[in-house]
Amino acid sequence: MRIILTLVRKDIATFLRNRPAVVITFLVPVALIYIFGFVFGLNARDSGPAGIRLGVVNASDSPAAQQLVDALKAEKTFRVVTADPTVTPGRPLTEADARRLIHDRKFNFALVIPSDFIPARGVGLRLRILSDPRNEIETQTVNGLLQKTIFSHVPQLLGQALQAGARRYLGDVRTDQFNSEIAAAVTGAFGGDREKTRRSLEAGGFGALPGESAAPAAPPAPDLFSRLVQIETVQVAGRDVKSPAATRVVGGWAMMFLLFAVSGGSAAFFDEKNAGLFQRLLSAPVRRSQLLWSRFIYGILLGLVQLTTLFAAGRLLYGIDVFGHFGNLVVVCTAAAAACSAFGMLIAAFAPNAQAANGLATFLVLTMSATGGAWFPISLMPEFMQHVAKFTLVYWSMEGFSQVLWAGSSLGELLPTVGILLAIAAGVMAAAVWRFNRGAVFD
Amino acid sequence: MLIIRDLRKHYGSQLALDGVSLEIRRGEFFGLLGPNGAGKSTLMSLVAGLRQPDAGSLALDGVAVTPADPATRAALGLVPQSIALFEDLSAEQNLRVFGELHGLRGALLRERIDEALAAVQLADRRRDQVKKFSGGMQRRLNLVASLLHRPKLLLCDEPTVGVDPQSRNAIFDFLEARNREGPTVIYSTHYMEEATRLCSRIGIIDHGKIHALGTLDELLTRLPFADEMTFPATPATAAFAARVAAHGELATADGGHRFHPHAGFRTSAFYALAEECQLPARLFVAGRPSLEALFLHLTGRTLRE
Repeated sequence: MRIILTLVRKDIATFLRNRPAVVITFLVPVALIYIFGFVFGLNARDSGPAGIRLGVVNASDSPAAQQLVDALKAEKTFRVVTADPTVTPGRPLTEADARRLIHDRKFNFALVIPSDFIPARGVGLRLRILSDPRNEIETQTVNGLLQKTIFSHVPQLLGQALQAGARRYLGDVRTDQFNSEIAAAVTGAFGGDREKTRRSLEAGGFGALPGESAAPAAPPAPDLFSRLVQIETVQVAGRDVKSPAATRVVGGWAMMFLLFAVSGGSAAFFDEKNAGLFQRLLSAPVRRSQLLWSRFIYGILLGLVQLTTLFAAGRLLYGIDVFGHFGNLVVVCTAAAAACSAFGMLIAAFAPNAQAANGLATFLVLTMSATGGAWFPISLMPEFMQHVAKFTLVYWSMEGFSQVLWAGSSLGELLPTVGILLAIAAGVMAAAVWRFNRGAVFD
Repeated sequence: MLIIRDLRKHYGSQLALDGVSLEIRRGEFFGLLGPNGAGKSTLMSLVAGLRQPDAGSLALDGVAVTPADPATRAALGLVPQSIALFEDLSAEQNLRVFGELHGLRGALLRERIDEALAAVQLADRRRDQVKKFSGGMQRRLNLVASLLHRPKLLLCDEPTVGVDPQSRNAIFDFLEARNREGPTVIYSTHYMEEATRLCSRIGIIDHGKIHALGTLDELLTRLPFADEMTFPATPATAAFAARVAAHGELATADGGHRFHPHAGFRTSAFYALAEECQLPARLFVAGRPSLEALFLHLTGRTLRE
């Protein structure tokens, strides 16, 4: 037993002396849990998605339509956009605007309330959802929440539709008389203010006084309402994508593997240093900067080959349309690989040794993958995290892949995303070179 | 060929080189002898242009050595202390990389690679991965990798660390043959045997200072004694060692005592003292003092401390 205890003590002492191992074991999980807490909204009082941008086109002059818009604005899940943000002053959105803005990635979903929202004949409501379902989880979440919001307000909206129909068939006098008699009957039986009850009926409230109900109405029977509420779903982008499910996820997977591969290269940097290879290389007519740039270019080539292999595998296994956009895909892959390679160089520049480089890389790869949207859509994260995501190369790489494979964007349309990735690569590489020139890597 | 003037180098608060001045002549096999931490590798790295000195100057053939100067580097070949090879690559691939970095191409490069591999008896293993080589084979390849471009000045920073005697001799033979062909060699070591065998001139370095400089004979004349007695360090000889230490310099290393008598202390007196301590004469070996003795005399410590 004494021997075992001695060996255990040895293991503990060895572990504690290995600071990178301690950091990976204790600090990295805590930091990731904290970040995931942000991602899933666990740090906020209200959990669940918030602030998903939703375009709303209201072509109806019905008060019920405006009530639906107000109800959507009241939902914390959505940030409702009713005016075209690309023109000043913003004019109310039209359906054409909404389609264009979805295509331009200003938002992925829009609710169109058509002019015949409440049909002239018959009872029911007509709505249209425009979507760019490039992310399955986001699409299901938004559709579910949108339908929940609509159906929660259906009794009110249907009441208004019935009132409108009654006035058409019975005329105003007989409808008012009908409402007054119903209000009298309701208040006679259940008590309450007769005039208020009558006004509620006129507003489509089936006699329930506005603000009187403490709890929302019980969920309506879905079968009934799905017949009463006609929701037409129109996919604005990605209609021609051959393998939607695989196309949606392939970018995230590719980025994570690429980051791990490239950051593994930063640990190899230290192996060469420790072997004395830098000494030999730098004693030849080789400059430090040439060593760094050769590593950077190697990282880009490795990344490009890896991404190409992954996408080719996606084509073979899942039928993802890779070759239809091959040129543009290579452009995005090159930019993404450049950003990842620079990231690997930055880790090598700041880490004191190979173990620390591995630990730092693991931490950053997991964090960037989580916050950048490789694991779940950033629109489901708190708004603060959605802003943070845009500082990650994972976000912009996935954006680029999505533009190519999902939206079939042209090279011109890709340029802003590619430009941002190249700017990230340049900025990160500049920081790495700055650090290399001041650090002890080459000593 | 190489002129070093008052070279100083600090690492933080630690002084690694303290005003080193040297002149290395063309074609020389110059030895830099000193224990670990004496400043040998720092001096080598400054000569190779890998580091900048804090003060002082280096000039190779009259031209200042600067890290950014490709001409300086083309004239140098550095054999690092560690085995600085790409171990996943083959011997031939390694040599191709280092040759190309020095500007060799095509038939000339192939010819130099063939020559180098043959010279270190690795021609039949040219396509094997370096990591499959023995330590001695890796050391030999490490050596020739620095010679492909035929440097004018070859810097060997303890190139035989951890090498078996057979490989060590092969390396010595190879270096001596190369030196005869022309290049100047600066060879750092803490093995006095290596310095004694290889070097035409030796600089003894410790604590960042050159303590003595000259040929082996010149250096040994600086000793105040011409004889050396060695005997085993055992409990039986402990009392004798304590008594004899009063008459000279006594160093203990590797299980043995090395005694250098003060002037006037005669050999007969030495044996008389041994007889008093009841030690047989066969325990003692008389000989010529070595560089170890000189190092001890100059620095007060042994090369292995």
